[in-house]
Amino acid sequence: MVTPSRINLLERLPLLKTILKSRAFQPVLMLITLFVFVLAILTGLFGTPAGSRNFNIIFVWIVWWALLIIVMVPFFGRLWCAICPIPAPGEWLQRRGIIQRRTGRLLTLNRRWPRRLKNMWLQNFGFLGVAMFSTIILTRPSVSAWVLFSFLLVGVMLSAVYKNRIFCRYVCPVGGFIGLYSMLSPVELRVEDQGICASHTTKDCITGNEHGYGCPWMVFPGNLTRNTYCGLCVECLKTCPKNNIVINLRPFGSDLMVAKERRLDEAYKAFIMLGCALLYSVVLLGPWGWLKNWANMDTLPHWAIYAAAFLAINLLVLPGLFWLVTVASRRLSGQAVPLRRLFVDYAYTLVPLGLSGWIAFSLGFVLVNGSYALGVVSDPFGWGWNLFGTAQAGWTPLWPTLTAFLQVGTLTAGLLFSVNTAYKIARQNSQDHRLAFLATLPVTGFLTLVTLGFLRLYLG
Amino acid sequence: MERRERFAIAVVLLILIGLPAAALGYQYWLRPALSSTRMIDIRAAAPEAGGFQPDAIQVNAGETVTLRFSSTDVTQGIAIGPGLGIDLGHVDPGQVKEITLTFDHAGTYTFYCNSWCSPDHWRMRGIVQVDDPANPGALPTSQRDPVIEALIAEGVDIDDNVHTDDHPLPVISLDRVPSVARGEMLTSTVNVPADLQNAAWRRSHSPAQALDLLIADNPSMGRAELADVIAYLWSGGLSAEQITAAQTLYNKNCAACHGETGAGDGPVASSTENNPVIFADAGYMFTRRDDVLYAKIRRGGMGTDMPNFGTLFTQDETWALVNYLRSFSGTGQGPLGDAH
Repeated sequence: MVTPSRINLLERLPLLKTILKSRAFQPVLMLITLFVFVLAILTGLFGTPAGSRNFNIIFVWIVWWALLIIVMVPFFGRLWCAICPIPAPGEWLQRRGIIQRRTGRLLTLNRRWPRRLKNMWLQNFGFLGVAMFSTIILTRPSVSAWVLFSFLLVGVMLSAVYKNRIFCRYVCPVGGFIGLYSMLSPVELRVEDQGICASHTTKDCITGNEHGYGCPWMVFPGNLTRNTYCGLCVECLKTCPKNNIVINLRPFGSDLMVAKERRLDEAYKAFIMLGCALLYSVVLLGPWGWLKNWANMDTLPHWAIYAAAFLAINLLVLPGLFWLVTVASRRLSGQAVPLRRLFVDYAYTLVPLGLSGWIAFSLGFVLVNGSYALGVVSDPFGWGWNLFGTAQAGWTPLWPTLTAFLQVGTLTAGLLFSVNTAYKIARQNSQDHRLAFLATLPVTGFLTLVTLGFLRLYLG
Repeated sequence: MERRERFAIAVVLLILIGLPAAALGYQYWLRPALSSTRMIDIRAAAPEAGGFQPDAIQVNAGETVTLRFSSTDVTQGIAIGPGLGIDLGHVDPGQVKEITLTFDHAGTYTFYCNSWCSPDHWRMRGIVQVDDPANPGALPTSQRDPVIEALIAEGVDIDDNVHTDDHPLPVISLDRVPSVARGEMLTSTVNVPADLQNAAWRRSHSPAQALDLLIADNPSMGRAELADVIAYLWSGGLSAEQITAAQTLYNKNCAACHGETGAGDGPVASSTENNPVIFADAGYMFTRRDDVLYAKIRRGGMGTDMPNFGTLFTQDETWALVNYLRSFSGTGQGPLGDAH
């Protein structure tokens, strides 16, 4: 049953349902992204080392990144995961088909994924691992290409060993934060009536049937209360014999209020993402050239210091400060909730601000450097081609005077959303408005300081 | 198998195999094969990152080739000399600039960077070896330079002007900066010895030596006025085009160290081994012979960061450049001649 604040899109848009139920829908989009992905690897390996003229750097780290962080994640959640080319070859090999639904078991060694890794920690450390080298990866096409290729390779290898999308669910460094931030998305895949799923014995959405495969993300839609681990592949929409799957339009950030599923690994993902947005802003957009050189591995000792500081800030300093904030909040409000639970609960207030920080950070370079895309689309390798006549398109920053306003607006919206989330979470632990308000104060202070930090970096 | 499944598999194969094969095959095989000229790709990187790759190419005299220059890291200025007048201008990272040309005569040419690209900028050079098809494999003969040979025979030390904090430039004292314009007006009133009227003599003697002769022949004239006359006599006789060309050569190849006004204060002057000499110092320039300046430009400075330009410029271009250097101190006819 669809709650009043939800709009069932499949009911409103029957054509959308028809498209989504088609077995060709997802593979067609994956083939398109696979083409771009392979081109990115090729251009990275064989094209010019100059990032601004190489398709790999411009289309992966500017165009794709902008679409992902500014459009897809905030508005469509895990939509990218549905069309991502990285797991595609592995999945197609597992299924022994691309579009056609093959009967029989998935082609895999069918090993069991370790229980202790069934969380976001691997993705957290994977993201930090990539982030420590980001200045190098983001500017050197060949390095970027090898990273992308290694993702593809790991995806295929894991598909050969484990069933379903183990790579996406537990390994992909990008998938982790998309999952976290997809909680904000106004689009959700849910079941219309959980009672139907509970009483349905065959559970076709898990086992699969002639119309589709069992959920490759290993999620039971009947229990789905958040977007975090649903890859929007819509296999369940195809397999559900009860026509019980819906795609809803809903208020932004609804999942943040689902208290029972909050976890420490996700909380840390929120710290890491916020910390990285801040640190990237400092390193890549800040005026400290020496710091950029250190991150760019001008010498190994410099980079080692940078990496150590990077890890310390993300894993110790930021969570440590937030722990103190949680202690203050607990004392102020006199809440009897265990400190660790409060710490995890309030960490979800960082999700809106974190995403807005990433959007603001991305606006800073996407609007400035996006125009390079025109040139590289005609000359993807930097070999002097001119496929569409735009190879000579000059570098033209887009709305340079507006960028700061957009950043301020985005960060302000993120701050307000986060503060509102903090209050709502506090109310979950205390029915008393005054106590909840008091509990919110230290968190609000922390969020405000972080926002001011972003603004200081962007506005100078 | 469904038709659309077969189609999807075909698309996947096209992406995974066809796309790489098409892109790489076109660039490395089909494109050169379709070109009416031999294409030679030359990648330029900062010298510390490898410089030109390749840094030596071979063509035959009369063969038309297309040279495609690209830069991988920093902005380079690409020119080819000597005597070809080819300057492709800036090549930004990732940009490709090409030129199709025919080398008419066998010999050695140099492609080089004429935009300051790194502390080792002067190493940004590559060689075009143009062979005579009628005599393949013949080793190039070294180009003789009678001016430099004469200086060696004379025992002139062209490196006596190494300029460090402990070793100032040799200078003579002048009361004021000499003026070509004043000198031109005074010339008819001065007794100019025959040697000074001889261009060849002037090239092999310094203005200071000439000034001594002029003073001896004109005891009633003031030294400053006679210095003006010397400035006029050393101002050369270049056309406006030659001066502009010399100025361009100077700005692209010399100004980074010596400064646009010859004050020795170019943007990278502080990073050179020795202080760049100051062409704007008339007292110094009066001690310099034109042929020594010429030799210094063409051969480079021993033990200093002054590179050789003899493989980049023609002899005429070098003489024009010498004259342009004099303009900074008022003794040449360049655009800065009377600026001081």
